[in-house]
Amino acid sequence: MAQVPVQTIHRDPQLFYWILVPITIVMILTGVLRHYATVLMATAPKKLDQKTIREQRSLLHGINVRSNFPVLSKHSFTTRRDVLTTAYESGAYLKDPERRGQAPPNPMSDPSSMEGMMGMMKNQMAMIIPNTLIMSWINAFFSGYVIMKLPFPLTIKFKSMLQAGVATKDMDPRWMSSISWYFLCIFGLQSVFNFLLGNDNAASQMAQQMGQMAPPTGQMFGPGVDPDKQFLAEVENLAVIEHYSVLDGVEQRLLESATV
Amino acid sequence: MTSIEREFQIAPIVQESVVHNSRTLFNLQSLTASLFGVGAGILGLESYYGFLFYIICSLLTTLLFYVLRVAPSSLPAGKGAFDTSQYFRSPYEFWTGGLLNGLAGFILTWTLFFGLVRA
Repeated sequence: MAQVPVQTIHRDPQLFYWILVPITIVMILTGVLRHYATVLMATAPKKLDQKTIREQRSLLHGINVRSNFPVLSKHSFTTRRDVLTTAYESGAYLKDPERRGQAPPNPMSDPSSMEGMMGMMKNQMAMIIPNTLIMSWINAFFSGYVIMKLPFPLTIKFKSMLQAGVATKDMDPRWMSSISWYFLCIFGLQSVFNFLLGNDNAASQMAQQMGQMAPPTGQMFGPGVDPDKQFLAEVENLAVIEHYSVLDGVEQRLLESATV
Repeated sequence: MTSIEREFQIAPIVQESVVHNSRTLFNLQSLTASLFGVGAGILGLESYYGFLFYIICSLLTTLLFYVLRVAPSSLPAGKGAFDTSQYFRSPYEFWTGGLLNGLAGFILTWTLFFGLVRA
């Protein structure tokens, strides 16, 4: 296989100062701006009334007792279990005791859940709009020429995406136009944002984090879940537990680990 | 009620500490990956050599992190050499996790400085 000659194109050094640096600075600044805009626009956590909070917290109490029962002694555990079981079955913690048998309110019509969904949509918008704007700005002003050479080779198929404005056949895919620098910046500047703005800033990739966070919290207090059924399920869970405590045999462990 | 479960209840794993440890390591590796990109760009390294440089330097950083931060308290506690189980959950992720999450920053600064210096 004949050695492919290295393609060099002599470029104006001013190219860097007028193109690379402005794009980078703009992307960093819009990232910072987006982070602070998200922080300022975030809605305050809404205040729930006492009955709703009591309903949610009592369910959490039951779940905590179920998962952490080994730290309790036998007597504490049975006391808690009896109190919670009687309260759950009698519906003492419910928000509206009259609506026990009916279906839970529709998520669309229940006003308390709308604001949760609006918050998520606002975050999505805050991500999408600046990215679209910057992409169109770059395409308008910075298209039609290649800027720089990637240090490592790519396949031919990347050429159509990354050499957008320049339609040549033979040029190495290593030469890129400015839109590819934009893509590199999106991925690479996340660590810079991490460094500048501290952890969990709004300028980093939120899509992945939101995708992971949504499943765990969706089951419990989300719209459309019936608390009465949850309470009754919790009663059954508490009833089947075989209790043991970490305090059993603790004196034996202490004597074994003590060295003379 | 297996014995492993009982051990976890006697000495529970605190979620916040685990998150803090892995976040420290993550931040360090992202930052140093960007700096290694600067180095690779200035040196003018091309494809394979550049990635090799990145892998070697990233492993070196993790090794230094282990020697200077983890070892002073983990060796006296009776762990073997190169055992990170006192602070981190899986040794595989400790040594190699930094490679993937620093890669984007490395490529960005590598490309930038390669273009700037090579003219």
